[in-house]
Amino acid sequence: MFGTFLKALLIILYATFVGFMFMGIIRKVTARIHRRIGPPIYQPIIDTIKFLSKKENITHGIIYDFGIIFALGATILALMFIPLGSISIMRAYGDLILITFLLEIPMLGIMFAAMSSGNPYAGIGAQRALLTLLAIQVPLGFAIVALAEFYGTFSTYEIVMAQQTSGWSIFHLPLLLAAIAYDIVLQAMFGKEPFDIMIAPGEISLGPMVEFGGKHMGILQIQHAMGLFAETLFFSNIFLGGAVITTFSSPILNTLATLAVLLVKQLAVLLIAIFVSTIFPRFTIDQAAKFYWKWPTIIAALGAILASL
Amino acid sequence: MPAKVVGEEKVKKSPSFVKPWLGLKYLFKKPVTIKIPEEKIEPAPKYRGFHTLDWKKCVGCNFCGQICPARAIEMTWIEVDGKMEKRPHPKIDYGRCTFCQFCVDVCPTGALGFIESYILTTTGDEEELQLYDWVPIHPDKFKEIQDQYRDWRFPVEKIEVNEETREVTYYLRNGETFKFKIVGYGIRPPKPPTKPAPKKEEKKDSKQ
Repeated sequence: MFGTFLKALLIILYATFVGFMFMGIIRKVTARIHRRIGPPIYQPIIDTIKFLSKKENITHGIIYDFGIIFALGATILALMFIPLGSISIMRAYGDLILITFLLEIPMLGIMFAAMSSGNPYAGIGAQRALLTLLAIQVPLGFAIVALAEFYGTFSTYEIVMAQQTSGWSIFHLPLLLAAIAYDIVLQAMFGKEPFDIMIAPGEISLGPMVEFGGKHMGILQIQHAMGLFAETLFFSNIFLGGAVITTFSSPILNTLATLAVLLVKQLAVLLIAIFVSTIFPRFTIDQAAKFYWKWPTIIAALGAILASL
Repeated sequence: MPAKVVGEEKVKKSPSFVKPWLGLKYLFKKPVTIKIPEEKIEPAPKYRGFHTLDWKKCVGCNFCGQICPARAIEMTWIEVDGKMEKRPHPKIDYGRCTFCQFCVDVCPTGALGFIESYILTTTGDEEELQLYDWVPIHPDKFKEIQDQYRDWRFPVEKIEVNEETREVTYYLRNGETFKFKIVGYGIRPPKPPTKPAPKKEEKKDSKQ
């Protein structure tokens, strides 16, 4: 019992730290593409510490506080279900549909908080976020169906184990199509540029985030960092073969090697997202909905059909 | 002759999903950034910065005060070492100055000049805000300080104004101090320099 608790705490700490590093990497790489130097890589940590140490906190009621905790909690819960190499708490129950669902819950939590603030910008942002959420469901569902169809199971851990023997998912044509669709969806889940409709800096002043400040914003930053970690981890688990390394004799070395391999795969996923986000401008909300229901859906559906043949 | 118009087919480009990826070509290039605290930039020669004033050349004609678009220049009667200057000198308020340097162009004797230094930062304290209101110092002095530090900052660290004796002290950056007295404002001279100073000032104030 205590061991499980300790393990969960370690996973949360690791995910938060790596997630903040990912946020730093996003800023650094974006800056390099713009020919700037950019902030140091640990900048998001400093930002979050500053947010958390603000003296004044504005609150608009219970739901406003609860929504943010809700978002953070959902992300942590999702993290518990995703297999992190050989270490995980509830990987036996790590269902594809459950994890996909849990990764979208945070957006709902932020919506709760934003809507209860009564700010019209937050309202518009929430509306856009919900439409994005609606739009990404279709290709996401097809991608999950393709995976489940191909491997004959919904369990993420079994999919990872199956890839140990049969090679990575993206080397099979139907799953490659699903991976492409999922990667496009990932752009919206990260809230990165072509589909950052819900935040839309400069268009609707920060959308749902417009009313947050102080500790609320700090918790949201932590949630964002963990979300980044969880989403990249999920993608590299189901499409890039995860990692369960047993080459060394010592279990600690094995675990460290597993984490390192996973980190490289997560970074690859993240870098593609950064590159796409730096070179493509933002879609309007109707364009995004049309886009998601057109190309990624077609690609993912094709993958699902091919997988079931 | 009809205006020359380039055909639309020549300027209109077709959208592309491939070309935006060329934007990644700077990823491994050296950033074009100047790291300001470590690196320095030289302002252009004759960059319009702070003013200099040769007190011996200034004839107090007030041309600068008349041309100043921001009305940042006020003529000031100054007493150095107990001797009042024969003519008023311009006092420049950097809270209003737009650094257009019209005053330098219009100065008939070339007494008013400018120099490349341009950085002046203070806190909001009343004492420090005195820095924004000064009678410029001699160009050679300014030049010397600028060449000594070369960080393009204001050459005066602190200006101390004594309200009672109307004595002004400039604490220059290289440790020197520079003292003078402001005995009056405006184009007309304050009443002939007689002994009872405070009375005379009050009178002049009420006149303006």
